[in-house]
Order: sequence, then structure tokens, then C-alpha cells
Amino acid sequence: MVTREEKDRIALLQGTLDLLILRTLVFGPQHGQGIARAIQEQSEDVLLVDHGALYPALQRLETKGWISAKWGISSNNRKARFYSLTKDGRKQLAHETSQWRKLAAAIGRVLGPETMEG
Amino acid sequence: MFWRRHRNDAEFSEELRAHLELEADRLRELGFSDEEARTMAHRNVGNIMSIEECFYEAGRWMWLDHLWQDVRYASRQLRKNKAFTLVCVLTLALGIGANTAVFTLVHAVMLKSLPVSDPKTLYSVGDGENCCVIGGYQNDHSIFSYSLYQHLRDHTPEFAEMAAFQASPDTMSVRQGAVSAVAQPFVGQFVSGNYFTMFGVAAYAGRAITPADDKPGAPPVAVMSYRAGQLHHALDPAVIGSVFVIDGKPITVVGVAPPGFFGDTLREDPPDFWIPLAVEPLMRGQDSLLKSAGDHWLYIIGRLKPGARPATVESELNVGLKQWLTAQAGSQPSAEDTKAIARQRIRLTLGGAGIARMRRDAADNLKLLLVASGLVLLIACANLATMLLARRAASRVQNAVRVALGAPRRRLIYQSLTESVLLAVVGGLAGLAVAFAGTRAILLLAFHGAKYVPIEATPSLPVLGFAFLLSLMAGVAFGTLPAWTSSRADPVEALRGGNRATGAHATFPQKSLVVLQAALSLVLLCGAGLSLQNLRNLEHQRFGFETKDRLVVKVSPAFTGYGQERIAAIYRQLRERLEQIPGVRSASLSVYAPMSGDNWGGAIAFEGRPFPARQEDRDSSSWVSVSPRYFETIGERLMRGRLIDERDTPASRRVAVISETFARKYFKNENPLGGHFGLGSVKRSLDYEIVGVVQDAKWREPYEPAGPMFFLPLMQVSAQEWPDEARSNYIGAIELHAVGNLAALAPMVRKAIAEIEPNLTVIEILPFDELVSLNFNQERLIARLTSAFGVLSLLLACIGLYGVTAYSVARRTGEIGIRIALGAARGQVVAMVLRSALMLIAIGLAIGIPLELAVTHLMASQLYGVKSHDPVVLGGAVVLLAACALIAGLVPARRAAGIEPMQALRTE
Repeated sequence: MVTREEKDRIALLQGTLDLLILRTLVFGPQHGQGIARAIQEQSEDVLLVDHGALYPALQRLETKGWISAKWGISSNNRKARFYSLTKDGRKQLAHETSQWRKLAAAIGRVLGPETMEG
Repeated sequence: MFWRRHRNDAEFSEELRAHLELEADRLRELGFSDEEARTMAHRNVGNIMSIEECFYEAGRWMWLDHLWQDVRYASRQLRKNKAFTLVCVLTLALGIGANTAVFTLVHAVMLKSLPVSDPKTLYSVGDGENCCVIGGYQNDHSIFSYSLYQHLRDHTPEFAEMAAFQASPDTMSVRQGAVSAVAQPFVGQFVSGNYFTMFGVAAYAGRAITPADDKPGAPPVAVMSYRAGQLHHALDPAVIGSVFVIDGKPITVVGVAPPGFFGDTLREDPPDFWIPLAVEPLMRGQDSLLKSAGDHWLYIIGRLKPGARPATVESELNVGLKQWLTAQAGSQPSAEDTKAIARQRIRLTLGGAGIARMRRDAADNLKLLLVASGLVLLIACANLATMLLARRAASRVQNAVRVALGAPRRRLIYQSLTESVLLAVVGGLAGLAVAFAGTRAILLLAFHGAKYVPIEATPSLPVLGFAFLLSLMAGVAFGTLPAWTSSRADPVEALRGGNRATGAHATFPQKSLVVLQAALSLVLLCGAGLSLQNLRNLEHQRFGFETKDRLVVKVSPAFTGYGQERIAAIYRQLRERLEQIPGVRSASLSVYAPMSGDNWGGAIAFEGRPFPARQEDRDSSSWVSVSPRYFETIGERLMRGRLIDERDTPASRRVAVISETFARKYFKNENPLGGHFGLGSVKRSLDYEIVGVVQDAKWREPYEPAGPMFFLPLMQVSAQEWPDEARSNYIGAIELHAVGNLAALAPMVRKAIAEIEPNLTVIEILPFDELVSLNFNQERLIARLTSAFGVLSLLLACIGLYGVTAYSVARRTGEIGIRIALGAARGQVVAMVLRSALMLIAIGLAIGIPLELAVTHLMASQLYGVKSHDPVVLGGAVVLLAACALIAGLVPARRAAGIEPMQALRTE
């Protein structure tokens, strides 16, 4: 959700959220809010995770068997549902990461050097 | 995993709550106040409900969910509108029930194969067009003598089995050992030894007849039908091996046929006993047909070997036929014979459904019924569409609101269709109940007088499938239009307060449906009128005899081995005894009863006239032997000369009484009295002297004028002729003219007959008019059903008209109120409403009359004494339809006239 004071933030492209979630979980189990925060922080506040879209995405990944979940206690003693990467999830992450890199490089080539822009 | 989810909604909500708290914690850490933190956390997450909904929908078969939702919604709606639902379900139930019932009959008679193994490889030799017992050339051979059967069987190796069986099974008198002294009538059929093998039918109990049983000198055996076993012997295992006395001869029952097996042909009263052909000479003695090569009395069905080509087999059969006919014609065949033989042929037809006579006879009538019941269904569907349209229109505001709130049109269409299909399915189920009852009624009507019909009234799987498909099709057909219109709901209308009528286009489909109903209804009513008139004409035609106060006793004599004297004595005693019964005025005996479908017939030679060589050119006539007082008893009037009486004995001059048509045809301007003629050859042309002429009376064909007919005195046969003539002197019917309660006579008649001759089995006793009316079973069925369908369609059309009119009155309440407020008289309002209602009917009639003329033109060939364009019938139907329409329109019209202007304006 892009709020008015966060003009520089970019809404995620469709399909990229799954990749980012998987990537975030490489560092260990995390709950939903932690994942959202991690993405935001690691992108230096450029990428904004729509919290409303996050949970359906988690749900989807879980159904596909790429992540698993169990209830646990957060660092500040709250009960939360922790997600962790499965073996399949790791494979998927590797695959998607290379796909994404190829795509990004290709788009970059098409768009040309940054200086050409406006 | 749509059926068992590993996470439930509550757990998901908990996770979301945890998220909100964690987020709020973070924000608090950043220095926001508690309240700010909470609000921001909520804002960041967005609409929790929609996330939860997303969760709910993910991974589910949403369409199933929606369907379930729609079904629940639709059934709630239907329960709420009880009257509407009831009318819809009833309409459908009647429409579908009628069709299913008719289809059950069509399926059983026209489509079903015999219940035997692999009916597809069965072929019938000949098309079964000829029946019973025939001599000479048939041109298209379909009935065969035993000798011809043997020849064909032995010269057509492509048949794995070829079986022969008696074309018209006999009623036989059956007694079980000494247990029951009174003989009971059963239907028996002579069949070849491989009959059961050919059909691939094994015995239910005991064993089937085998070729070993069908050899001369083999002990006489029989197989009993399951039904006979069940009915009369409670399937007692002891029945197998027990001896039955059938037509006076002891025969051992060796097996019981499986349930459902009714022999080679679907017919009313199928055989109860199957007896090998080899037993026939034993049972019939001197009247046996087995050894007579010239008497054709057997049908043939065979099973082709795999790979055999029917066309090749057919030509082989034809070669076989010609060989046999040539051999029969002797070493010096006449030129006539050679020519005739060249013309003879056999057609090989499909035999999987048995001998096709019943099917052919019934085909036209069944088609007519299918068309009529189809029309009823069409009208029922039109009616439902009208009602659904009205309902849809009533819920227009609701739909508009739904569209305004964002309901996809697809969902609206689905939901509307769901309701129609649900109605259709419920209606279809109710229709099955109607069909079950209806089939029973139809079978009773169609086979009135039969003791047993091997057609199951219980709907079979194909019939159930048919009904289900029909109701689904009806549901989709009558649901599509309303569904489509409901999806076109305009959201603006919801805001405008859409109670106001907006143009006429909304009711156009409804109006055209009512017009269609009226047109179809007219067609059905006219069809009903014509068939009723046809039946009335048939039943009340001048038969030439009296049916009032007359009883006919159908009997089956087992007189094999009786001498002429003994039979003559039995006949004498019978007449004396029966005439002594109080109330009986006269009693007579005859070989057949009139209008019971049988007579003797043959070529006749007149004294002093040439007797042509060609069969086709010879004079011919039907004839029957009757006892004295026969004509008095059935009320056939004497025109000239005298009737047959006690003077006519074997010792006296042999005489004949002829019919008017006989006299007119063969004695144009001469006096027939004193003329002589004989049967079959010139040398017999002096046999009979004509002593009387009686009025024409219909004998067999109710549709055709009476043909030439003559009557011989029963038992006036010389001793040397007796062996050949015995069979034509066995009585099959006793006629009684009586006063008083006819039903009360039956027991006394039975008793008298049993006392005089135990081997004379009473098949049934029935009033003469009932015997005659049995000839009109099909016509009665058609008349009753088309009447029922006609009334039903009229009712439906009126409901439709009423619905449309009432609906338009409701929509125009405001307008009518204003008219009344401005001074319109109530009469004018009534006239206005009625005018528009009757206009629809008028258009319906304008379309219906040409349609009716076209349809009834097709019926004309099946009607007796009825013009297909009968102005009375057409006028009657028009008046009836208009009168009913008037009533259907008057009710809403009066309601419109009763509208109070103030109340009307307030509803705006």
C-alpha cells in the first residue's frame, strides 16, 4: 500500500513477491510481519510490501510446498506463525533467482545506459 | 485439498492478529504512541476482511461453492413462493410424466431387443407379414411349412442355428395331473428343438428343450414360462418333472424359462408353455400340420455365424426356396407354377427384436402419441418460461441492486439458471412418479382385455435417462431466456425505484409464448376431437349384428381323437343345457365369434362357371361354420330364404347361407337361392346349395365394408370327409342371447360347460360389445390420451394467459388507476384488459389453424369416417379455447376494474 508520504517507494511487480519471500527466508525462519519488514529494510525502503498481498502469497507458497510453517514465539515474546524454507523452496529460489537475473539483465540491455534516460 | 483444509479460518485470523501486534510493536519502538501505532499497523495491512476472503477462496473450487450457494438460494426462493413452485413442478411433472410414459411404451415396443443373448446376430427369415396358417404361394414368403424349414435349415450353412416356431400360439387347456380337475386356459407354442439354444437362453430351473426332445418318438416334454410357474405353482421345484395334461395329452414339464423371457415376439399373452414341434402330431392327431408340406404355419429366426454376410445368406435362402418349391411342384410343373415360382422370394430381416408385426402395427399410433406428448411438453415449457419471466421481472429491482453492488452478470445468469434447473429436476422427479402411474394406465388401455403384457411399467435405465435428459433440457430451454433478461438488469433502475413499467419490450417474449401455447393447444384439441370422433364412429357403426344383451364365451376344445358322433352329441347337449339356464333366450355355437379376428377363407368354384387357373383370378370368400340359431342369437337379419336350422344334418342336403355382399358380388342380377358352389376346385362346385341370404355383418375389419361371406351348418360333414373337415368344425365360441344380469350368468355357463365336456376349456366369458370394443384398443388409447393431452394443454395455455394478463395488470396498476380517476368506466377497463388477452389468443388461433390443418392431414389416413378437415371439430376446439381464454382473462380484468384510483396512485 503506497501511502502519500512514500513517493519513492515502488509497488512490487507481480510475481516478484514470492521470490523475495523465499530469499528472505534463506536467513532462517521468520513470521509474516518480519518478512515484510526484512524486504522493506533490505531494499532500503524502496520496495514496499503490501501486507494485504503478503498473506495470500505465503499461503500460496505453503500450498506449493516451498515453505513450511509452525507457531512459535517472537523475539518480543509474541505468539506468531514462523515460516521456513523447505528443500524444494531452496531449489525454487535458485531457479527463480537466475531467471530474475537474466530478465533484469535483458531489460537493462534493452533500456540502454542510464544516462540516456530523460 | 479442497475437501479438508489443513488451516482453518480461525487460525488464519489469529496469524493476522499476531501480525498487527508485531507491526504495532515495531512502530512503538520507532517512537509512535500506542494509539498511533495501532492505527498505522491497521492501515498498512489494509482491509482484513478482504485478505480473509482471499484466504477463503484460495485453493477452493469456487464454482462448486458458488453452485452450492446458488442451489441453496434457489431452493430458499422456491420454498418461499410455494404457489409458484407448485404450479411449475406440476406443469413439468405432467409434461415429463406424459412423455416418459409414452416413451416407456415406445421403448418397449419399438426399440428394445428380445431379452436373449447377443440379439444383434439374430435374423428373421421373412418379414413376418403373413400369419397363422397359409397355403400356396406367398410371393414374399414369411411363414413356412415344417418341410420348407428343414430344407432352408439344411441348405444355409451360414446360420449357426435356425429355429422354427408356431406363428400364432394356441390357447390350450391345461390340467396338472389329477390335482385340479378343471382345465385352465394357457397359451402354448410349438417350437423346434433348438429354439432355446438359438436364442442362447438357459432354463431358470430344470432344463430347456433340446433337439433330442424334437425327434419323433421322444417322450413329450415342455418348458413352462417363469410367469406361469410363479402364478400357478408358486415356483415349486416339484413342478419340474411333473406331468401336465395339455389338450388331453400327458406332457412332462422339464424346465422353467428365465424370468422376463417372453418368447420370440413381444405380444400380449405370450406363451406359457413351449412344446417341441415333434409333439405336435401327438397333440393334434389327424389335424397335425407338421407333415403337411403345403401348410405354412411356422416363423423362422436364426443366428448367423460370425462374419456371415446377410446379403449372401439372403440370396442362398432364395435359392433354397426355389429349389424346394420346384421339388414340390412335381416332376412336371405346370407353366403357371414355373411362372409363380420365379416370383417367390424371401427377405432376411433383423431378428433381434423378434417378429416385427406388433411393432409395425403400433408404429403409426406410437408416433402420433410421441408427437402429441411432445407438444404437451413444449407447451409446459412455454408455460414455465412465461412464469419464470414474470418472476424474473418481479425481481428486476433486486437484480438491479445486485448489479449496482457489483455482482457479475455471469453470477446472475448462473443463479437464475440454477433455479430453473432445480425446478426442472424436482419436476422431473415428480414426473417419474406420474410416468410410473401413467405407464400402467397406458398399458391397461393399450392392451385392454389381455391377461398379461410382458412390458415393465417400471421405468428402465434408458427411460430414466430419457426423462432426466428431458427435464434438464426443459430446464435449460425455459430457463435461458429469463436468465438472460435478468442479467440485463440496469443498475440505474434500482436507483430510479423501478416499479414503473418501462416499455413493452419486456413482455414481448411472454406474449409470444402465450401465442405459441394457444396455437399448439388448438392442434392438440383438434387431434383429440378427431380421434374421439374416430373412436365413436368405429364403435357405433352398423356392424350388422346386435351386441346388446349378448354374451360370448370363448372356448378352446381339446377334441383330438373324438369321433364325429361324439362331438355332434356334445354340441347338441351344450345348446340344450345353455338354453335351459334362466334368462338365456337362445344359445349358438360357432367356430369363431364375429370381430374376434379369425375366420376360414378360400377360393370358391360356382356351378357351371369357369374356375381360373391363376390363384389371383379366382373368386374367394370368408366362411365360418355355425350351429342352428346362430343368426337369431347374434341378431343378424335374414334377407331371403331361410337360416341354418336343425334340418341341416350330415344326412341332409348340404347347404350354405350367404351374405348380401356375397350375393351382390357373385350373383349380380340372379337369384342366388338354389345356386351351388364349393370350396377350392371345380369338382366340388356342387357341394353347397344356397338356401338363404343374411344381412351383411362386419366380421374382421372394422375399418372396411363387410366382404363376401358364407356360413355352413356346423357338423354337416359326411363321414368320409370328416378327417379333413374336423378342424373347421371345432367350436371356438359360444354365443348367448340373454336378458337380465349378464354377469350373473357366467358361473352357471362355466358349470354347464364343465359338466358336459371337461376338455372344452372356457378361455373367457365377455359381453359381446366388449369383445367388439377389444378391436379398438389402439383407437381408444389414442382417443383417451390425445384428449388428456388436449385438456392438459388447454389448461396450461390458460394458466399462461392468466399469468401474462395478471402480470400486465399488476404492472399497469398506476396507469389503470389514473384512467379510472380520469373517468374511465369499469366496463371499459375490463374490455381493455380482455381485448389484449383475447388478441393473443386470436393470433394463436391464426397460427394454430393452418398448423392444425397440416397436422390432421397426416392423421387422416388413420381415421374411420372422419374428414380430416372437420369444421365441427375445428369450430369446437376454437370455441373451447376462446371460452377458456375468456375465463382466464376475465379474472385479472375484473381485478383491474376494481382498482381504487387512490390506492393505485399511492403505490407509485
